[in-house]
Amino acid sequence: MPTTRFTPSDVDELRAVLADTTASHPRLLVEGAGTAATTGGRPDPADAVVDTTGLSGVLRYNPADMTVAVRAGTPLTQVQAELAGQRVAFDPARGRRGATVGGLLATADGGPARQQFGVLRDLVIGATVVLADGTVAHSGGHVIKNVAGYDLAKLFHGSLGTLGVVAEVVLRLHPLPRHVVTVAVPGPAEEATRTGTDLLGRGIEPAALEWTPDSGLLVRLEGTEEGVLARAGAVEAVGGTILSDDAQAAAWAGVDAVADPAAPGTTVLRAGTLPSDGPGFVATLAAAAARAGADLAVSSGVGTGVHTVALTGGDHAAVLAAAHAAAGPAVTVLRHDGLDPDAPLWGPPPAAVALLRAVKQRFDPTGRFGAGRLSPWLAPVRDVPATEGVPA
Amino acid sequence: MSTSFDARRPPQREVLDDCVHCGFCLPTCPTYAVTGTETESPRGRIYLMDLAAQGTIGVDEAFGEHIDSCLGCLACVTACPSGVQYDRLIESVRPQVERNVTRSRADRLFRGLVFALFPYPNRLRVAALGGLVYQRSGLRALVRRLGLLDRLPARLRALESLLPPVTVRALLARTPERTRPPGAARLRVGLLAGCAQRVFFGDVNAATVRVLAAEGCDVLVPRDVQCCGALSVHAGREDEGLARARATIEMFERYRLDVVVANVAGCGSTLKEYGALLADDPAWAERAAAFSATVRDVTELLAELTPQAPRHPVAARVAYHDACHLANAQRVREQPRAVLRAIPGLQLQDVAEAELCCGSAGIYNLVQPVTAEELGQRKAANLEAVAPDVVVTANAGCLLQIRRFLDAGIPVLHPVQLVDASIRGCDPV
Amino acid sequence: MDRVALQAELVAALGADAVLTDPVSLRAYECDGLTGYRVVPACVVLPRDTAQVAAAVRVCARNGVPFVARGAGTGLSGGALPVADGVVISLQRLRAVVSVDPVNRRAVVEPGVTNLDISRAVAAHGLYFAPDPSSQQVCTIGGNVAENSGGAHCLKYGFTVHHIHEIEVVLPDGTVTTLGGPAPHQGGYDLLGAFIGSEGTLGIVTRITVKLLPRPAAVQTLVADFPSVEQAGDTVTAIVAAGIVPAAVEMMDALAIEAVEAAVSAGYSRDTAAALIVELDGPPAEVTAQFAEVERLCHEHGTTKVHVAPTPEARAAVWKGRKAAFAAVGRISPNYFVQDGVVPRTRLAEALTRIGELADEAGLRVANVFHAGDGNLHPLVLYSEARGEHERAEHLSSSIAELCVDLGGSLSGEHGIGTDKACSMPRQYDDADLATMTLLRRAFDPDDVCNPGKLLPTPRLCGERPGPHRPHPLEAAGLIERI
Repeated sequence: MPTTRFTPSDVDELRAVLADTTASHPRLLVEGAGTAATTGGRPDPADAVVDTTGLSGVLRYNPADMTVAVRAGTPLTQVQAELAGQRVAFDPARGRRGATVGGLLATADGGPARQQFGVLRDLVIGATVVLADGTVAHSGGHVIKNVAGYDLAKLFHGSLGTLGVVAEVVLRLHPLPRHVVTVAVPGPAEEATRTGTDLLGRGIEPAALEWTPDSGLLVRLEGTEEGVLARAGAVEAVGGTILSDDAQAAAWAGVDAVADPAAPGTTVLRAGTLPSDGPGFVATLAAAAARAGADLAVSSGVGTGVHTVALTGGDHAAVLAAAHAAAGPAVTVLRHDGLDPDAPLWGPPPAAVALLRAVKQRFDPTGRFGAGRLSPWLAPVRDVPATEGVPA
Repeated sequence: MSTSFDARRPPQREVLDDCVHCGFCLPTCPTYAVTGTETESPRGRIYLMDLAAQGTIGVDEAFGEHIDSCLGCLACVTACPSGVQYDRLIESVRPQVERNVTRSRADRLFRGLVFALFPYPNRLRVAALGGLVYQRSGLRALVRRLGLLDRLPARLRALESLLPPVTVRALLARTPERTRPPGAARLRVGLLAGCAQRVFFGDVNAATVRVLAAEGCDVLVPRDVQCCGALSVHAGREDEGLARARATIEMFERYRLDVVVANVAGCGSTLKEYGALLADDPAWAERAAAFSATVRDVTELLAELTPQAPRHPVAARVAYHDACHLANAQRVREQPRAVLRAIPGLQLQDVAEAELCCGSAGIYNLVQPVTAEELGQRKAANLEAVAPDVVVTANAGCLLQIRRFLDAGIPVLHPVQLVDASIRGCDPV
Repeated sequence: MDRVALQAELVAALGADAVLTDPVSLRAYECDGLTGYRVVPACVVLPRDTAQVAAAVRVCARNGVPFVARGAGTGLSGGALPVADGVVISLQRLRAVVSVDPVNRRAVVEPGVTNLDISRAVAAHGLYFAPDPSSQQVCTIGGNVAENSGGAHCLKYGFTVHHIHEIEVVLPDGTVTTLGGPAPHQGGYDLLGAFIGSEGTLGIVTRITVKLLPRPAAVQTLVADFPSVEQAGDTVTAIVAAGIVPAAVEMMDALAIEAVEAAVSAGYSRDTAAALIVELDGPPAEVTAQFAEVERLCHEHGTTKVHVAPTPEARAAVWKGRKAAFAAVGRISPNYFVQDGVVPRTRLAEALTRIGELADEAGLRVANVFHAGDGNLHPLVLYSEARGEHERAEHLSSSIAELCVDLGGSLSGEHGIGTDKACSMPRQYDDADLATMTLLRRAFDPDDVCNPGKLLPTPRLCGERPGPHRPHPLEAAGLIERI
């Protein structure tokens, strides 16, 4: 680990740190709360760490406009705590461990609320980023509807600290629901997918629709009390049981535990598939895990086709290989504690890998940021077949 | 500012200025649907008219091509939120093109042939008899079998295939000059027998007369062989069209009618337009306006009259096709549907792309056969998609065009024929 | 490059029927929905498929010829304005709905399909495409992707960027690639998100996988009349503060209502200062409960009349009126500019007051139509070319856009920057912001051939630091003209 650690507390300090250290500390590692230190790669040794946790605090909260501007190093939980009757409609598992807003953006993390509200790409309406040479750039603003200019926040979504440092973020807010109920419908993945598709088609509008083998299909309903109860009744009619408050909390904690497990030596990956391919994908991974002697925990967004898989024990590389084979570039390794240090974390590159590299080259031409992350897509090695665009 | 139009009724500046270039007309325009080119859209055509009015471009062949290609279906007028009177624009620009653009020899000859034939029922009847011989004698089958058809120019091919399956009896049938209602007459009604209509659709005229009489109308059908001028007006042959308008007014005035009925949408819309067309003619303006005020489409009149003849059930799924000159030019959409819905047992189906023209549009399918064919096929596919027992439409051109492309097992009728069948309690087909 | 040689190369690549070269046809492409800027292109091509789009782009790239993609040409910011000596690539022959997957609630469509036709094509499955710009019956999905279109219902449902899974793109060098994927989780930068809303400057979208939503189980719409625009604005704030997220909240002032009623007779009251349209949709019990609350809030804030649309047909009439508003203004004014600024919702009343003052100063009328729920204003500046009011109107329109930025909002909520506002961008973003945006542009388009001159200010077009309301330099140079 490098010994030098910069902890700027506002955009100006961050700009100065980056601008002043291009020669002295050419290679930097951006770090937030450290809750996703191993996501998406194995960072190469750097000359210094840029610690964003000092960039903390709510800058401007406009409850009537339902927007909040925060420094990117602010923990999500702290943002939520400062809102009155409102929320950032975003529930990533590692939020409870103090993950920062900027870190959650850079890792493209998300939770079950993805079903209705999406993830930070969908909730961020403005961003301030600082580039390798200290350039401070804004995009978006403080209004929800805004198409002026390119949306740099999207570009930084999933960038894993390879393009620059996210300094400030403006978020759109949603009202806190007056009433929340979770209905559990037991059954295997195929049945959950069928039930979920049916419920969506009937306009039930679930806030979350997540399946785990233990809980079955969890249908989270938010709204007015009478509205929620009416919809809960419809879910009960297809075999569901309304969970008590405690059972509800336990069930969602179980979903969180897949994405952010406490056990050491765990590998966690996230993958996207067509929703209807979800059960097959989960079965493929379960079979691979059984062959490799690994225990597999899974939670699947039935409406979104986003699956989170945790592996303990056994050989994780074989299961990851099966995931890469089935879901290609839509697989991210959130934690690789159970993998060998040289096991490849990324699968086949996306069709647009040449564009990823071009963006990286333009934004960070000297390669200051995040070496080792998003590798080998950004730094190609010979044996990775590129499926990038070919002239038609 | 110099203009490229001549001084005779050029498009009016105020009407051109109404267009704000929003493009709401694009999806309703049949030629745009087929080609996707801006110049084949109402917005593009208005833009070119505007440029010509400013003298930026000339009124030449390149310009005329885009005006000629307009079907005149006027779906754009219905769609336009700014109220652009495209009908007025195209009707003033077509004569400009007729006068100022030199057409190719082949084009002139073909147009000459069409206008020497269609407005003249007796000539048309002779031609149709020839066609009948051609169809019946096996000559048509032979021509088709030998693939000779494919060697004909597209326009002649269109003419060939539009020939409806007619019988000698139907061809020679004449509608009686006066038909009295069974009881006291509610109205004294004149029916325009039409030119192509009376040759090819004598049965529609007969059904119209029966239905109107059954509903208490004293029905008069002038014997004069008189084209109303619709084909000429829609093609920009202004002088010819106006002469026919005057003669038609004169003809009907002799009968002292309450209502003049048309059962061909294209004719009806022109009859209703006489007032506007002759507005500049001091000797005729008032007469024409008074005449136009008495004109109704047959479905419009039936919807106004409280039914007195009992209707028998007609158990059929019916797809109704809006003829452009009824729906857009006359804004008659609900009345034919209401008249059909009043028939017990009849199920009226909604059809996709209902606003899209079938490609007939006066003589369009003869002079622009490629576009017309694509539109005809598209219309037929949309109609077939609702699996109708019968397709109905209130315009002779549409009847011919749809008949050509629709599955031969589905009859194509005029709505009044269904009403007639319902009143008489017989099978409409 | 020599125009004739370029045309010949395009004809060789695409076939003669896909290339328009005659001067009359080219004139028809000289502007889009914003007719104030006009540039005649060297050539227009109408490819039929992705391969033909790529072929056309490769011809351009090889010769360094700029190209501009064009959909239905309804854009209001001059985003599809041709480049002189450049090529316009019209996508109006890519109009297929390729496939519909009702189980996974998505459809694959070509870019020339209209927004409304997507919903029509999937209606049988109880699904629809949520973004609904007012021009939805004519604007194309390709244009929606380019502009990140919103519409009346984006308050609840978001913008185009929230409703696209995957796009196939022809990049400015003529290669074909794919952005996004089957699920919302994909590895790497969100290039899909960055591309959507890039106004045709990063490439040409040739195939789109759109997300479809189930038709809401219940929909309720009301129109509430208010004696003042301010009271209507306060009502919006109260509704949102109550924790209600309506599907849509729209407002029209008296002048806009007059135009709409003249055009489509939608049933709005002609004698009210402001009409507020509130639509709720979702599960029936939620809608019923919240609708009662919305009605109560309208009354609390002084509504003079609440009209609840009793049937789907009545609701359609309300929306038909609202969506026809821009074009309908043609009925009450010979000419007008549509503005598209955004202010924070809490500053709506302030913005409207200032707009009224600015209009009075200019001696012109302004009709206001806006998406009140998200603070997106569409002031319509009415003027008469014949009375020589053009310049004053243009000045007023730009002042309104800049007012929005000054109030903490944005130059554009949905119409885009395009040609019209490129030179105003420095009002909202500083040099470093714009330079950073240029990095993204150059990553996609290193040679600046893809819709150049749009979205970002360029020194050539805007001068070193544009002040407001100068004549467009292209205009001064006689390269473009205004009407």
